[in-house]
Amino acid sequence: MHRTYKKNFTDGRLLLAIALAGLVFLGECAAENVKNQPIARSKADPYERVNRKIFQFNDTVDEYLAEPIANAYKAITPQFVRTGIFNFYNNLETANTIVNAFLQGKPRQGLDNTGRLLVNSTLGLAGFVDVAKYLNLEHNDEDFDQTLALWGLPSGPYLVLPFLGPTTVRGIPGILFDTAANPTSYVGIPVQLLYLLNARANAQGALQFIDEAALDRYLFTRESFLQWRQNLASDGQFASLDYFEEFAEADTANAAGFPGSVETFNTASNAFTGATAAFDKTALHFRTVLAKLSGSQKQ
Amino acid sequence: MRTKYRQIIALVLAALFPALLLAAEPEAKTARQVVEVFQGHLLEAMKSGKRIGYAGRYEKLFNPVAQSHDLEKIARIIVGREWEKLTKDQQHTFVDVLIRLSVSSYAHNFRDYNGESFVFESLEETGKGGVVVRSLFKIPNDKDVKFDYMLKQNGDTWRIINIIANGVSDLALRRTEYTSVLQREGFDALIKRLNEKIDNHSKM
Repeated sequence: MHRTYKKNFTDGRLLLAIALAGLVFLGECAAENVKNQPIARSKADPYERVNRKIFQFNDTVDEYLAEPIANAYKAITPQFVRTGIFNFYNNLETANTIVNAFLQGKPRQGLDNTGRLLVNSTLGLAGFVDVAKYLNLEHNDEDFDQTLALWGLPSGPYLVLPFLGPTTVRGIPGILFDTAANPTSYVGIPVQLLYLLNARANAQGALQFIDEAALDRYLFTRESFLQWRQNLASDGQFASLDYFEEFAEADTANAAGFPGSVETFNTASNAFTGATAAFDKTALHFRTVLAKLSGSQKQ
Repeated sequence: MRTKYRQIIALVLAALFPALLLAAEPEAKTARQVVEVFQGHLLEAMKSGKRIGYAGRYEKLFNPVAQSHDLEKIARIIVGREWEKLTKDQQHTFVDVLIRLSVSSYAHNFRDYNGESFVFESLEETGKGGVVVRSLFKIPNDKDVKFDYMLKQNGDTWRIINIIANGVSDLALRRTEYTSVLQREGFDALIKRLNEKIDNHSKM
């Protein structure tokens, strides 16, 4: 079945659909009650219990905070304005793409993206209009996590970060590097908030798609995210043939882990687990307060 | 004279008969043809999508999906080891729900047409007797979406067993989700939840 659905194509492309699953701001919807359920073990996700709790916390923040604000924003800004703002930030991110293209030994792509940045920053009115695509200068998705993958670093276990959503252990230095290499990080909080708001508003259709398609949003998000990252890291070379080998043995369900030495990252992730346990209590408190507030409003 | 004509007619018929038989039995499609015929049906359903509505699209797509996808194999792969633990009735129920869910997802999500098209890119043979047909879904004013179709031979015919869209495998997603629900909540709960999805597709 096609998971990339027509509706999503028009709403904002498959990549956004998956990116929204967490890479962008607060990418998950309403919580699913998974308390007290036995958890099927996955090699790629040894900390599922903790990750699910953070996922639920992000859901709550999204439901009560991000979604209402994004809906209000969407109501007062036409689509072309949101597209323009998306283009503007996308153009700034090209700086990071260029650095990583060169770090990955792709000089041609690095030069193309440099051309893209120059054209869009000038002819494209500071990036609001994506003129470069008409010159066949396509946007590439390159980031430091992919660079580390190319350098041979395994992804390590899957993690869900508070507010930021899905990543892997390798993704954390990736996020730090990409943030440092993105000009948006240096222009002040209001600009960054607008970026997050715009990304969340544009993601609405794709978030709805996850709601419609998933039996378990946590698992759906995790698998989509890991596959999507793996596909990006291998520049699309991994997917088809490897899956075929994997599925050829029909009776080996759930045997697959994702590349990466889990053991290597256990120490770091154990520390992370401890920190998130404390965080979970905060999340519970937050939900209780919000529930009371919404209850008192109804009265 | 008449006998001679009869003999000629008989000879001609005898010569044509095997050819007629062959013509009556269509040649088995190649993997690429299976994918392209299915994509053609999907685009057709999209083109008349607004006019015929969800029910019309569902009806239009049922046979093309059932004929091009090996849904029994897909079902086996999705549930993995759990397959053998299911009764024959449960296996039939699961395959049936899977067909209806697949068709309803297409009918729900590919609802209208704005100039999209599929373009064949390449075909790769795999080590395990299967092939991957790579294609692009072209959307006007938007980025192309890569659709890779994995096919295996079932008897003489090639059948789709997985679709990978921009690197995300539908089969892998389903396998993770469905086996998890099976283990946590059991077979009946899985079927109930899949039927709910089908219902929702028809309503939205």
